[in-house]
Amino acid sequence: MRKLFAFLAKYSVLILFIILETISFSMIVNNDGYQQSVFFSSGNTLIASLYKVNNSVFEYFYLKKANEGLAKENVNLQNELANLKLRLDTLKARPTDDVQTPSIDPNLEINYILAKVINNSTNKQLNYITLNKGLRDGVRKDMGVINEDGVVGVVSNVSEKFAVVIPILNPRIHFNGKFVKNNYNGFVNWDGVDYRFAKLNDIARHVIFSKGDSLVTSGYSHSFPEGILIGTVDDFNIEESDAYFDIRVKLAVNFRTLSYVKLIDYLNYEERLNLENEMQ
Amino acid sequence: MKMVLQNIVSFVVLVLVQVLVLNNIHFMGYINPYVYVLFILLLPVRFSRLFTLILAFALGLIIDAFSNTYGIHAFSTVLIAFLRPFAINLFTNIEEDTNPIPSFNSFGVFAFSKYVITLVFIHHASFFLLEIFSFTAFGYTLLRIVLNTLITTAILLGICAVKRE
Repeated sequence: MRKLFAFLAKYSVLILFIILETISFSMIVNNDGYQQSVFFSSGNTLIASLYKVNNSVFEYFYLKKANEGLAKENVNLQNELANLKLRLDTLKARPTDDVQTPSIDPNLEINYILAKVINNSTNKQLNYITLNKGLRDGVRKDMGVINEDGVVGVVSNVSEKFAVVIPILNPRIHFNGKFVKNNYNGFVNWDGVDYRFAKLNDIARHVIFSKGDSLVTSGYSHSFPEGILIGTVDDFNIEESDAYFDIRVKLAVNFRTLSYVKLIDYLNYEERLNLENEMQ
Repeated sequence: MKMVLQNIVSFVVLVLVQVLVLNNIHFMGYINPYVYVLFILLLPVRFSRLFTLILAFALGLIIDAFSNTYGIHAFSTVLIAFLRPFAINLFTNIEEDTNPIPSFNSFGVFAFSKYVITLVFIHHASFFLLEIFSFTAFGYTLLRIVLNTLITTAILLGICAVKRE
């Protein structure tokens, strides 16, 4: 017995070390995301209330950003209103004996659905965004998602009340984009490194462009109309032997501060899809 | 007594600075310095090793609770608390009967810097590897470890240099 105590005393540090590391490690391994102990998480009342105080302080720093976004959106809406009024006036002025009026302008085929981002990540390899709108609000798969700054992503899954969006920040999706300046198009893809930048591929070496050029949606997909900002050219280079440029695009949308987004609903989506499928 | 009080205050201050300020820094997407380890690093050289381990475990668990990392900080902090005496023996030759607080003055500038960077590196390597829990994209994890080690060390040495003034 005395030997045992002597042993314990001699190796007490090592023994305690092993015990503590075993506890920590089993906590790490047993953490499966659901059965976590609330006590050791930010769900703990004390910690949650500390975070709440912290949040209420830092909230004010984000108010400015939210305000700017709303103001920008406001201006865009006013512009849109002015354009629509103008169009309405020209339609009214049309003489009654005119030939059959042409079909509605393609731009009028779009309806926006406002949604709130309820879950978002930017630091993973495969990022996803969850929205608070679903089937019952008219959301369906493949709808484009934008905010006031530009392209966010495409709807990939829809349930009754929620929708999951694959954002640009997910290497599993490619966006067709073109330069505003010269209409050359390529596809934008994220390389999984930095949430502010993506890569633009398929721009051949004869194409002339420069840093800061804007890249917008091409309108070739079912998800986005033409001309929505994706980002701007941040940097590019080309090796002697390459046929295509290696271009880094600064994304227009800041995915870290995403709060409200708009879903693009093509009213004639089915018709277009059916027509295109007939040809195949 | 003054010493104990001082340590309690620095414990609380370091935890608050870590969880309320530094954990919200995501500079370049992967910079997140963990300066709370300073508490363990600056315990007196002959401080009870058992008690150091217990303090490290408590400190790690508190940081874990705030960042929802369940044991990862606790594991890494206990690890450096255990290795700390070996690092001190390796880099310095403090006499048996003295009990200085680690600093530029007591260890010497070079030895103290080596002591800090070694333990911070071990802590960060353990933390980032356990966080991702795999060796996929190892280059990326290594980059995180090295960058964050350099930044944390720079902050810690900066704090110690200011304290010396």
